[in-house]
Amino acid sequence: MSTVIPDVALIDNSDERAPLVLVLDCSGSMQEENKIQLLNEGLKALAVDLKADSIAARCGRVLVISFGGDANVEVIGDWTDAMDFTPPELLAGGLTPLGAAMRCALDEVESQKTQMRTAGVSYKRPIIMLLSDGEPTDEWRQVAAECKTAETAHKVNIMAIGIGDKANKETLGQFSNKGALSLSGLKFKELFIWLSRSIRAVSRAPAGGTVQLNPVDSWAQLST
Amino acid sequence: MWRVFSASTTGKRNFDEGAAGQDASDCVVTEDGLVAIVCDGAGSVSEGRIGAEFVARALAEQLSNTQDDDTERLEASIHCAIEDVRNRLADLAASRELSLEEFSCTLIGCVASRGGGCFFHIGDGFAIQQSAAGDAVLSLPENGEYSDETYFVTDEKWKDHLRFTSLPAPERGCVIGLMSDGTAPFAVNRARSGFFRPFIDPIGAFLRETTAPIGNEALRNLLESPRACEISRDDKTLLLAFYL
Repeated sequence: MSTVIPDVALIDNSDERAPLVLVLDCSGSMQEENKIQLLNEGLKALAVDLKADSIAARCGRVLVISFGGDANVEVIGDWTDAMDFTPPELLAGGLTPLGAAMRCALDEVESQKTQMRTAGVSYKRPIIMLLSDGEPTDEWRQVAAECKTAETAHKVNIMAIGIGDKANKETLGQFSNKGALSLSGLKFKELFIWLSRSIRAVSRAPAGGTVQLNPVDSWAQLST
Repeated sequence: MWRVFSASTTGKRNFDEGAAGQDASDCVVTEDGLVAIVCDGAGSVSEGRIGAEFVARALAEQLSNTQDDDTERLEASIHCAIEDVRNRLADLAASRELSLEEFSCTLIGCVASRGGGCFFHIGDGFAIQQSAAGDAVLSLPENGEYSDETYFVTDEKWKDHLRFTSLPAPERGCVIGLMSDGTAPFAVNRARSGFFRPFIDPIGAFLRETTAPIGNEALRNLLESPRACEISRDDKTLLLAFYL
């Protein structure tokens, strides 16, 4: 007969976090083909799917940065736990200050890491996901090089994803050592569900292990 | 006098892959003292479990007669013992034509006597001495920049990561706990300042009134429970020593 110790509380007290920064193109071209609306719906799917998983909801930490308008980069709200993440309603218009947005993302990641370290909170390697349907209208080469350096130093994991035919995949690919991927059609929802599942996997990753993410074929357009 | 209970269980990740658990523990209890060791073999190497078992057993045996109220001498003795065990593990690795790194494991240890003692620690996991009133001394995990990176006894620079924490003389009712990182999420409180009381208090009440075989089985059942496995997919080891 198995012996059970009565009345033991088993609660997860670990504070390990999986930071995620979404760097989202809100330039004028995102109004075409209803892209901005599909992006907003994708963010809603991300929020729902993260909250559906108790570990991802507790460990995921999300920040949204939009770029567009009059050379405008906006940090939308503050870092939030996935369980409290409310997707913003993004509007499209204006230019594509992608370089400044990625600079902001790198700074936010380092600032958040410092805050977590100070609080004694451990964390996984942060992910920055960049989504754009065009190419930068500001200076981007220096920050792109810094992104690659940060990746090489294991400071961050960067995913650059082009939306549609007009996305300059070659330029986007300069922001990550892995190059850029292309979104197949406008499968924003599939992309964000995949991202949520990746955060789930990262949140559960054991010490010393590597994380095997799901294949990207649900949303990525593979090269022909 | 110390009463010791321990259990090691295989985490869901290793279980699903058909792999054995990588944790090991050992202890020696004498009339006046306690030596306890927990090791967590690295999942990324081929012989992590063997490394963990070797280090835990050899170090517990080697330190079984080590008691010294002088902190510096005690730490020096432990340092020498680890170096010796590490050299013997290197010989074992060489005899199998493998590198020492293939036997990588963390180390969480304790030497306690009536006058006090110390924790010694390389890598992740926790060690806690907590009084009946709740006052606690901890040895915290040391990770790399990220929580999935840590340090091992087998590392070339192991001396840079060997940490000592002095312990006060044990009082009746105090408990010492050593645990691998798979156990810590539910055994340690959120502030990382001691045991999670709703976890440890019922365990302490139960184990103090039972025998070692029943207590060890109960501890194993707890670590294998669906809820514990839901919280952590890693291997889990918990060694508890109660001072009576």
